[in-house]
Amino acid sequence: MQRRKFLSLSGLAAAAALAPSVQAEDFRATKPTVWTAHTVEDAITAMYGTAKATESGVTVTMPDVAANGGAVPINVTSSIDAKSVAIFQNANPEAAVAAFTIHENSVINYDLKIKLKSDGTPITVTAIVEGKDGKLYSGVKTLTVALGGCEG
Amino acid sequence: MKVKAKLKGDIVKVKAMAKHDMTTYDQAKKKTGNSEDANFITRITASVNGKIVYEMSTSQFLAKNPIMKFQFKGAAKGDKVEMTWTDRKGNTETSKGKIK
Repeated sequence: MQRRKFLSLSGLAAAAALAPSVQAEDFRATKPTVWTAHTVEDAITAMYGTAKATESGVTVTMPDVAANGGAVPINVTSSIDAKSVAIFQNANPEAAVAAFTIHENSVINYDLKIKLKSDGTPITVTAIVEGKDGKLYSGVKTLTVALGGCEG
Repeated sequence: MKVKAKLKGDIVKVKAMAKHDMTTYDQAKKKTGNSEDANFITRITASVNGKIVYEMSTSQFLAKNPIMKFQFKGAAKGDKVEMTWTDRKGNTETSKGKIK
């Protein structure tokens, strides 16, 4: 009985030890405040502890005027040796859009379609790349949306 | 979920689409009066040969039926890209796509 108990316990321990290497970071679980922050600066601070970023090395490509705010294409590229990438905007009720974990074989070239609320004023989309050197790099794109996408 | 993957040089380009309504808190509030009814994909991962190559935590601001494209290295033709999404209510869906 004791041996069986020991085996099951050690099995559990092994599974727990293995888990992080197989399943990496879920930012929604580890950094819940990022997703409820209302301003870009608050969200970046919640994510990385600081909002200081060097504006270089990150390219954000979006149309200057998006016709449909329900699906605005965005492309983020960078050649920085990075740990993570995150996308924020200042149009919607909350600032965070997505956060990527960079793995060994990942290439930073992400395309997405995102929703942007429109009130006629220019929207700023910020992409933050967290380098392996611990510094933050950012790319910024300003655009306007003709028809908003968050109102449904 | 649809997954299409193509090898070009040493880089695999993947295009994927998840079928999901992606209801935001605002939309849910308008529809049912309760913003807690919002349901959206919170996490998408892709792995090849047991190794994660793409991992994204997302908010409600991805478009409805979100399309995503990404690239990675270190895979061969015929390998399978396995993608999984998880939404706010805990539903998951996994699909595979062969690298062409």
